[in-house]
Amino acid sequence: MHDSKANDSSVSANARDFAKKRRVNRSAKLKQCKLDARREQWLSQVKGNSCKVTPMASPPTSSSPPVSMPRPQSCLHDSDMVFPAHIPISNSSGNTPKVGCCLNNSVSRGGSTRSCSLSASDGEEEGGRGEDNVALDDWEAVADALSAYKVNDGCHPSHDTGGTFVESHVPPAPVNDPCVQSTMKPEATRTIPRAWRPDDVFRPQSLPNLYKHQSFPTNMERHFGAKVWSHPVILSAPSSCPICYEDLDPTDSSFLPCDCGFRLCLFCHKRILEADCRCPGCRKQYSPVEGEKMDMSGVAPLIPFQLSRSCSMSSRS
Amino acid sequence: MSSSSTSFASGGGVRPWTSATSVSFSGKRIQKEMLDFNANPPADCSAGPKGDDLYHWVSTIIGPPGSPYEDGIFFLTITFPGDYPFKPPKVVFMTRIYHCNIDAAGNVSLDILKDGWSPAMTISKVILAIRAVFTDPDPYKPVVPNIARLYLTDRAKHDEIAAEWTMRFAR
Repeated sequence: MHDSKANDSSVSANARDFAKKRRVNRSAKLKQCKLDARREQWLSQVKGNSCKVTPMASPPTSSSPPVSMPRPQSCLHDSDMVFPAHIPISNSSGNTPKVGCCLNNSVSRGGSTRSCSLSASDGEEEGGRGEDNVALDDWEAVADALSAYKVNDGCHPSHDTGGTFVESHVPPAPVNDPCVQSTMKPEATRTIPRAWRPDDVFRPQSLPNLYKHQSFPTNMERHFGAKVWSHPVILSAPSSCPICYEDLDPTDSSFLPCDCGFRLCLFCHKRILEADCRCPGCRKQYSPVEGEKMDMSGVAPLIPFQLSRSCSMSSRS
Repeated sequence: MSSSSTSFASGGGVRPWTSATSVSFSGKRIQKEMLDFNANPPADCSAGPKGDDLYHWVSTIIGPPGSPYEDGIFFLTITFPGDYPFKPPKVVFMTRIYHCNIDAAGNVSLDILKDGWSPAMTISKVILAIRAVFTDPDPYKPVVPNIARLYLTDRAKHDEIAAEWTMRFAR
């Protein structure tokens, strides 16, 4: 990259390059709506959690995904046995938690310090990229890191913190307190499944209605034939591509390439664009604007755009 | 070591992978169409694979009542291309028929089997369209102009010959 001259060390340039590449790949792959949905999921969980996760309000740490939430209890146990002094760590950068407002607070701190440490290590790699996109990227990065972390999660939750964290003087939370158990349990059971039920109160509005995921109602309909006509919406939304009969994934379900409303999967759409370029439903030509916007080839102009933006960004910082 | 093994795997995997998916892609679709057809067959029609090969079907259409082809049993072969839903199937009459849109070799000139094809069409719709051509020939886009001319000038004579051919070849 041309801006590596501006950097003081080639190492950081490499790291930045890597981060850029990763970011481009990722942003090409993932849809914005997915990210929004996850953020909303996270926010609604925070809302549902009366106790504070707000101490992690600094940009890199605010992005810890809901994955971290279901685990505080087990984390507490693990680290309490092996590293008795580890639980009460807190961020030294001014984010001192409100100590002991309730027991739940310190328990969830256990979870949040884990995510803090993770996102901090991620933040080192990402250098000085200060933009709104950082948070989005971090969402994915932290989620990846956490899931990878879970795999080899022996019992050292914050080995990679380096010097970023110091131990504070908060006493370890009493693990066997029935109050903690009772407050934590319902939350844990609520947050472990990451898919929203359609009737969930906390379900974010931005989540698309994916009827094919409601396999249970479909089965119900099969058993009780009278119910079929009471769900006209479910019937009208195709669950599989009419061309190849493969199931439509969420991206495909929200993909509406033609005004006539004919839905098909992205793969079939791409093949049709390569050939005669007509909508199978109405046999009219796909409008070029629509094709450019929605087709996978639309990613190509996106990449140089993002690259140039991140270049200017890093040279600025 | 690891990079060379990956490149080998991807390089070696490319060609069979493409052909395998394209076959299974159309195969899945054809299989699904077969199930749908059997579950809800059009009236007086049948269709199914000739043998184990999903891509070669035999179909029968019984001449619709009220047409000169009434009570005739017409055999067709349907050949699905490898890129099937994106390309139309080939339909050929095995039974001789006196029809201005079906030539002596049995090739059907039907818009939906050429430019009018849409991947959203199914073989059951194709068979229904062929059956509709029995009752309503299109003499303005004929493949056998003589029959079309006779159809337009002397409909009774045309129907008589068609019924005679049906008696002779389709019973």
